[in-house]
Amino acid sequence: MGDTELELSPAQLEELQQSPSASSNSSTSSLSLPSSPSSGTRPLTSSSPSTSEGLPTSSPPLDVISEGVGELSLVIDTEVAKKACQEVLQKVKFLKADGEVSSASSEPVLVNGTAHPESTDGGKPPKISQEEAEPVKNVRRRQKNNSSKQSWLLRLFESKLFDISMAISYLYNSKEPGVQAYIGNRLFSFRNEEVDFYLPQLLNMYIHMDEDVGDAIKPYVVYRCRQSINFSLQCAWLLGAYSSDMHISTQRHSRGTKLRKLILSDELKPSSQRIRREVPEHSLSPSKRTHQRSKSDATVSISLSSNLKRTASNPKVETSQDEPVRLTPQREFIKSLMGIGKRLATLPTKEQKTQRLISELSLLNHKLPARVWLPTAAFDHHVVRVPHTQAVVLNSKDKAPYLIYVEVLECENFETSSVPVRIPETRIRSTRSVENLPDCGITPDQRASSFSTVPNYDNDDEAWSVDDIGELQVELPEIHTNSYDNISQFSVDSITSQESKEPIFIAAGDIRRRLSEQLAHTPTTFKRDPEDPSAVALKEPWQEKVRRIREGSPYGHLPNWRLLSVIVKCGDDLRQELLAYQVLKQLQIIWEQERVPLWIKPYKILVISSDSGMIEPVVNAVSIHQVKKQSQLLLLDYFRQEHGDYNTEEFLTAQRNFVQSCAGYCLICYLLQVKDRHNGNILLDSEGHIIHIDFGFILSSSPRNLGFETSAFKLTSEFVDVMGGLDGDMFNYYKMLMLQGLIAARKHMEKVIQIVEIMQQGSQLPCFHGSSTIRNLKERFHMNLTEEQLQVLVEQMVDGSMRSITTKLYDGFQYLTNGIM
Amino acid sequence: MAQTEKKAGLLRRTSSSKKPLKEKVVLMYDEIFAKEDPTKNNPRFWDELFLMKVNLEYLEGKLESLDGDEVMKIKDNINSLFHHCVQALGEEHQIKVVNALQTLCALFRGVHQKNKSATGFDIINMLMGFDKAELRMKELMESLDSLLCGDGSESLKSLCLKLLLCLVTVTDNISQNTILEYVMINSIFEAILQILSDVSSRAQHGYDAVVLLALLVNYRKYESVNPYIVKLSIVDDEPTLDGMGMVIHHALTEYNRQYKDKEEENQGGFFSTLTSMVGSMFIADADEKLSVQTNEAILLALYEAVHLNRNFITVLAQSHPEIDMATTPATPVPASPTTPLSTTPPSLDMMNNPELPLDPNLQTSNLLITFLKYSSIVMQDTKDEHRLNSARLCLIILTCIAEDQYADAFLHDDNMNFRVNLHRMPMRHRKKAADKNIPSRPLVCAVLDLMVEFIITHMMKEFPMDLYVRCIQIIHKLICYQKKCRVRMHYTWRELWSALINLLKFLLSNETILLAKHNIFQLALQVVNLFNMFITYGDTFLPTPSSYDELYYEIIRMHQVFDNLYCMVLRVSTNAGQWKEPASKVTHALVNVRAIINHFNPKIESYAAVNHISQLSEDQVLEVVRSNYDTLTLKLQDGLDQFERYSEQPREAGFFKELVRSISLNVRKNVSLSTMSQDVLLKEFSSIS
Repeated sequence: MGDTELELSPAQLEELQQSPSASSNSSTSSLSLPSSPSSGTRPLTSSSPSTSEGLPTSSPPLDVISEGVGELSLVIDTEVAKKACQEVLQKVKFLKADGEVSSASSEPVLVNGTAHPESTDGGKPPKISQEEAEPVKNVRRRQKNNSSKQSWLLRLFESKLFDISMAISYLYNSKEPGVQAYIGNRLFSFRNEEVDFYLPQLLNMYIHMDEDVGDAIKPYVVYRCRQSINFSLQCAWLLGAYSSDMHISTQRHSRGTKLRKLILSDELKPSSQRIRREVPEHSLSPSKRTHQRSKSDATVSISLSSNLKRTASNPKVETSQDEPVRLTPQREFIKSLMGIGKRLATLPTKEQKTQRLISELSLLNHKLPARVWLPTAAFDHHVVRVPHTQAVVLNSKDKAPYLIYVEVLECENFETSSVPVRIPETRIRSTRSVENLPDCGITPDQRASSFSTVPNYDNDDEAWSVDDIGELQVELPEIHTNSYDNISQFSVDSITSQESKEPIFIAAGDIRRRLSEQLAHTPTTFKRDPEDPSAVALKEPWQEKVRRIREGSPYGHLPNWRLLSVIVKCGDDLRQELLAYQVLKQLQIIWEQERVPLWIKPYKILVISSDSGMIEPVVNAVSIHQVKKQSQLLLLDYFRQEHGDYNTEEFLTAQRNFVQSCAGYCLICYLLQVKDRHNGNILLDSEGHIIHIDFGFILSSSPRNLGFETSAFKLTSEFVDVMGGLDGDMFNYYKMLMLQGLIAARKHMEKVIQIVEIMQQGSQLPCFHGSSTIRNLKERFHMNLTEEQLQVLVEQMVDGSMRSITTKLYDGFQYLTNGIM
Repeated sequence: MAQTEKKAGLLRRTSSSKKPLKEKVVLMYDEIFAKEDPTKNNPRFWDELFLMKVNLEYLEGKLESLDGDEVMKIKDNINSLFHHCVQALGEEHQIKVVNALQTLCALFRGVHQKNKSATGFDIINMLMGFDKAELRMKELMESLDSLLCGDGSESLKSLCLKLLLCLVTVTDNISQNTILEYVMINSIFEAILQILSDVSSRAQHGYDAVVLLALLVNYRKYESVNPYIVKLSIVDDEPTLDGMGMVIHHALTEYNRQYKDKEEENQGGFFSTLTSMVGSMFIADADEKLSVQTNEAILLALYEAVHLNRNFITVLAQSHPEIDMATTPATPVPASPTTPLSTTPPSLDMMNNPELPLDPNLQTSNLLITFLKYSSIVMQDTKDEHRLNSARLCLIILTCIAEDQYADAFLHDDNMNFRVNLHRMPMRHRKKAADKNIPSRPLVCAVLDLMVEFIITHMMKEFPMDLYVRCIQIIHKLICYQKKCRVRMHYTWRELWSALINLLKFLLSNETILLAKHNIFQLALQVVNLFNMFITYGDTFLPTPSSYDELYYEIIRMHQVFDNLYCMVLRVSTNAGQWKEPASKVTHALVNVRAIINHFNPKIESYAAVNHISQLSEDQVLEVVRSNYDTLTLKLQDGLDQFERYSEQPREAGFFKELVRSISLNVRKNVSLSTMSQDVLLKEFSSIS
């Protein structure tokens, strides 16, 4: 099972064996044991110190068959081992409790406890805060002193190999409160980004699993919420979304809802603010802390929430609310975006929707810049402007998802950096020449030209006329490149500027020729179609769009200006999309790690509630449907039009990209059972990659259960043509990639399964319909097949998809019902 | 009808002084006019006076009837009346404030009516006394400012604005109103802005505030530094500018709606004609003029905002849902004579709603679209002097817009498409285009459509030369932008070409009549140069290669017009005379057009001869054109893409002076009416307090 997960380098092994208790010459295989999470507590038994002598004997069978846990249990007395393990964990707990408080109970006290660094009762409180920051280090240090009593499990947890994926897995599978509490504490030691990836899993466990797991997770979540507004909101949104499947009556009182309310009430402020304000309260807390220490974990968690409630009602804390509300701006921003989506949905035509969208966004612009940001972005920033005229309504039958572009200014930290000052729309060039010229990347002579016009502003008569400013405004964009259709500068202008009295003659034929050449040379754009407004916007190359919007923006001159885009979905449940994103991302990492050149493009998903969210758009990509409709060409011919003829380097590169992405997505489609694969849901980017979007039907769900799309994945003859036909080298390469990808994925199956499995908890999502979702998913990894057998399988799947008329049928069906080609 | 009776009574001022029974307030007025200090007999005289309901017409009439000497005798009393008025403005008792405001109104008006010939200084002396004038006016303006900015009663604010409007329009020529010098020093600009930036006050007083601002900006515009001009030009607060835009947008929309209603009424059957006749008995024909004139004031405000303030340009493109469809058609028509100033139209409360209303039938609109529609209505009929001025102002505003880079950018923005239903004059030879069929296009197409529409509908004996020149200039400016930024509009250029050629044709056939009044060569030169733009720079902005072919086709097809034009200008330019110079310019400009005609005509003839076709089809001609480009050489003319920037001074100064004068007269007339109707409101007010 998990045999391949832990590939220990000799160095790592040594490190593990350095501790005295590891006197036994345990082999590699024994170390691989704990990493198999599905086998519950059993791995613990093998690694418990009391039975360490038994390890050598048990190791050989383990090495061969990972499922051989049954044998293991025969060797070691489970009960004894379990006891031992508990003992150790108890000690760990005590150690920590010694330091101040147990991991779970430390939080609630910390809420207040950290608040008085200069409190009179000695050096304890500062110690706490230190511990809060590095709880695990602390533990580790202590445990080194007691190293003789270390367990194998602990040593695994302590080892470098113990990553977040394992932590999540143990958290989910372990039934031991001690282990759970330990891992909850251990979460603090991972990098934020690592944990963030598993945030949906963590929170879903928090909501739907038992108390112990929840208690283990909560301190970490609360701690992170205090640190980051973004994290707070993400948590609040996810908690809301994943609680929504509960029955309404239980939902109201569920832990998830409570935590969500707590976060949204904005009580989880950075503790630094509390340090200043809560001094008068300190006399109370020490006694309370000692009192809590004796409590069990369960009661502590209750006191945790009550404790926080109490602080809410505490007038001393109330006074701290005089500072700006942390979460409100962003929540309002998201709310207004969703509101727009809802209103758009009521309008009948695309044209009306588009117009309405533009006007709504122009109103939104009035409130910007503000301390708001796009959570899908990878860097800290403030949103300064929404170029409203660029927004488009996307194709959807009854809902109104829309795509907006957002101008942002990158900053150090969006919470602390000051919000940019608003620049009026018309101040495009004047500010450029006055304020920020040195850093805006204009060449010196351009700078000179804009400076030279500045004195004109002082001219009294012209001070408010548009004259010179007008001149100035056109010049700049033209220097960069032409504003509209990317034609190189022509000699026409220079001719006019010549002062010669000699008459200049030009041939009418030249004018006519230039006109047709210029139109021909513009990169192939799509024609504006009122029924499909997004096609043109999406076809425009991203860099081109960025440049164009930057030129038109009053903020464009700032060096930290960036353009982002986001799709706002209202009325759609994006939880499945998020799941698919996580699986894709995981597979991408696996393939990268295993050096399989498969190409996929997971796009970020932001779940805001169970029926709204945001999607990071794939740039430079249009749907194959749009490609075919606009170009009226076969896919292969379109490739030739875009990238050049066969055997040109561009074409070959594009073809390779196509094959690599095709193989990647075929595997994805197979493993996740992605359905509803019509051409509107498959994008083609400017480099030739295909990108599947819309994971609304995965795993156990399929559209309307029509029983179409029975083949493993979508492989049309057009696709095969682009790959160079059935007999081509590229087609073989395609199959080879699939095989390699499948082998690699199989090797790390647990990491993938785990993502899905945890999300199944308490979920009503259609993709988890039925009871066999996980089992079927596991089966598709074909753990029992040899590589030769896998190869046959891949051949079969490709063959099946090729011959499958259902694909064709489904396309026909889509064409008839939705007009998708 | 009691109210109308009263109004009628109020209008007949002279009769009111002959009432047998005198009110107490009238007796008190008499005391003021009786040379002696009224406080001599009654120390609480002034306190009591402001508790009395003002009798405006009596006071005004009394002032009017005095001659110069008499005035000087009671100057002290009038000075102290003015002084106490100003003092009363600070009173807590709001009735006193109201009465003081009205009394001031009567004072300003009465003094001016009397002293038509007197200088401004005499008036100031009479009202306030030279030595005190500065202080008094400072106090007055400060009180008004705090009343306007405070959170007091809305009707008080309204009355303050009326007083200011009254003061500003008290002379026919605003620049001769010397008292305004103090309004310049003690600026109430900020108060006006505050009214415009606040949603609710904007809805109630926005119109008056905007008109007041437009008038103040025009005070001694060309002679001195007007602080209102300076301040208006640097406003960059978007809510305020937006508010101003909303007020203008709303007033124009209201006009468009009224026009549309009337138009529909006229098109209706017999019954509706009958009702409209009955209706018109109430409306009186003054209503029609009223609506046009009030909108001139608002149009002036739009002009000043566009011309002076660069930031206002963004407001033009600010989208709002179309308001005119939402208004209830059930607005009582007889109330309309007072609507322009006194009552707030019901739809104004739309502006209170920060969330856009959710109505799928609402078309999104913006100020520019509304303005274009308004222009299309106004331009239909330019016979009337007011309408001519309105149309001229519309074209001037469009000129300013066409020169602005930001405005051009959004006019040509491919992503901002709108359906603009321009009004087209019903003409025999064309069908009324179905509204629904207008495609959604970038706004520049609507501007061009409007220009084309104007060109083809105004070729008449009373030739509006000035408007034509402006119209062609606007087109030229837009094309210059397109050329410069290489914007390719998918516009039906052919309509423009044929309109221009028809214009040339008209100029030719009416040469003698027109030459008596106008320099037609200037216009002809502009038109020919537009063609030169297309011919020599067509590659930079025409949408398709075939549109360039079509241009040639159109020129060749109408070659007779160009031939005749050439003959005419050649003839004039060879004769000595005042037109020699301008005519010869046109001959030079025609060189490329003639080259095209002379190049292709023989080719087409030979093609016809070779193929034995008598009449070539369009496609055949285009074929000939396409295959013969290479042997044609054109001459590049200088400065085709250069244009003179719009500047108000000195060329337009006269126009604006006259315009402001007519607006002043109009506003004055309306203010006096509405101030009276305010009485009703104040009665309620007094009973409450």
